[in-house]
Amino acid sequence: MIEAKGLTKVYGEKTAVGGVSFTVQAGRVTGFLGPNGAGKSTTMRMIMGLDSPSAGSVTVNGEPFAQHKAPLREIGALLDAKAVHTSRTAYNHLLAMAATHSIPKSRVREVIEMTGLGDVAKKKVKGFSLGMGQRLGIAAALLGDPQTIILDEPVNGLDPEGVVWVRNLVKYLASEGRTVFLSSHLMSEMALTADHLIVIGRGKIIADAPIAEIITGKGHARTRVRTDQPERLMQLLAGTGVSVEVHERELLEVSGLDPRGIARTALENQVMVYELTPLQASLEEAYMELTKDEVEYHSHITTGASVPAQAGGK
Amino acid sequence: MSTTTVDRRSIRNSVGPGPAFHRVLNSEFIKFRTLMSTLILLASTALVMVGFAALSAWGTGQFAEQVANDPEAAAAMAAQGGDLAVSIPTSGISFAQLILGSLGVLLMSSEFTTGMARSTFAAVPKRLSPFLAKLIVVMVSAFLLTAISIYIAGLVSLPIVDNYDLKLDLGSSQSVKLLLVNSLYVAAVAAIGMALGTIVRNSAGGIMSLVGLLFVAPIAFQLIPGDFFKEANKYLPTSTISPLTAVEHVPETLEAWQAALVLGAWVVVPVALAMVLLKKRDV
Repeated sequence: MIEAKGLTKVYGEKTAVGGVSFTVQAGRVTGFLGPNGAGKSTTMRMIMGLDSPSAGSVTVNGEPFAQHKAPLREIGALLDAKAVHTSRTAYNHLLAMAATHSIPKSRVREVIEMTGLGDVAKKKVKGFSLGMGQRLGIAAALLGDPQTIILDEPVNGLDPEGVVWVRNLVKYLASEGRTVFLSSHLMSEMALTADHLIVIGRGKIIADAPIAEIITGKGHARTRVRTDQPERLMQLLAGTGVSVEVHERELLEVSGLDPRGIARTALENQVMVYELTPLQASLEEAYMELTKDEVEYHSHITTGASVPAQAGGK
Repeated sequence: MSTTTVDRRSIRNSVGPGPAFHRVLNSEFIKFRTLMSTLILLASTALVMVGFAALSAWGTGQFAEQVANDPEAAAAMAAQGGDLAVSIPTSGISFAQLILGSLGVLLMSSEFTTGMARSTFAAVPKRLSPFLAKLIVVMVSAFLLTAISIYIAGLVSLPIVDNYDLKLDLGSSQSVKLLLVNSLYVAAVAAIGMALGTIVRNSAGGIMSLVGLLFVAPIAFQLIPGDFFKEANKYLPTSTISPLTAVEHVPETLEAWQAALVLGAWVVVPVALAMVLLKKRDV
């Protein structure tokens, strides 16, 4: 379990992390999601005792990381795939790390096999691809068979097979009762991997909830409606809190009213509806909704034209 | 969920040793010997020292031969105790201090430039322990390598000086003293290098500071007029070797015990500063 209380990091004038408090529970995968520069890596470095907080505190399994008697056995971290002297071989790197805790060579070979580095373990890290570097970082994190695992952007640079491997690995580790905390800016990946989500933007926690709740709660549920009288249905549905987008000639997306309400309105007014599909908001949309005020640079993306222009055209 | 967690923890804490100092020392030694560049620097130090001694033996022999044909010079040399050959094995020492001092810088600065420091200090969050372990590895290897190189250099020089009828006794007390003092000196320089590498966290900057201290400052201090710099020159690390190895005290230099204290201070002050900064700064 990881507990942060009022964790703050200030670099000169810039506040990287502004007093965040959160708890990462054991037995599930907790995703740490945020745009670039939101403070994810800084927070993780503070958990690992590499950066000292300007204010606040963070504990791992009840104690500050540096106070643990056997840190590698308590918490394993991939903070940066390149936290390695690249002129050393992967095997020797892991061996030197293992030696600090008298972790046997057999365990070093085990994590090498687990992470699929068997063929390159005796080669210098210099020649590794980004994906192989990530695998080495994950191998180092698993070395002490730790209770808590922190992975900063673990799927960065991995091939599709590697992405699936990381996804299954972290789910398996969580199922064993371990605490798994992984950061990513890939929302689709989080939707598939994490059970719980902590969303950070500009150094502040924006959301801390189960992933399902974030998707349904924040993103508004919508319904796809196909009808041969779109203009008429739009007029009938118009009202407080209801918005309608026209995507195709006879295809509408309605939000603010549930499918039952739409069907009732259509039935009462004799409008034929030939499709009525509830749409779940994607994590992307929920995330955009959450972080729209928090990102430093907005890019304007328009998805679909807005309402009456197209509909009224013909 | 929470019960399984508690069970796991209680089992886990009863097994598994943590980073005790001897383990960290072992880890740092593994790191030291698994870098090809380190091994190359060590080998080239030995090579340079032996090579220089051989050259120096030849040059000294030539010189002695000339002197022998000149009765006046011979008399002057005899008055000095005829002690030409004894310093031959240590003639490559300025190169040893440059290479091994730079190695000291590199071993620490590369931790930061490569990002390895994050792995090192995540495994051992009490940062002074890996620092001290590395310091021991660096100093002991610098000492041993220099001592062995000096001895081999002596062995290689023996047949050469023999050709010129010069005497070189590797077992004489002065030979042993030169070997020990020079080896200790190089170990001290390696420690200064490591401290500089920790303070500046940058390979080029660390090596340049070391070169400035060992090679530029002594010359600059001699060139700058004024008694202050003349006096200050005596307290530079490079100036401590000759008082420590002199047969008799040479005027205008420090006493041997003073020189030992000065060299000690040159190690302790930067190392202490490096430790404070390492503890305080973010990795």
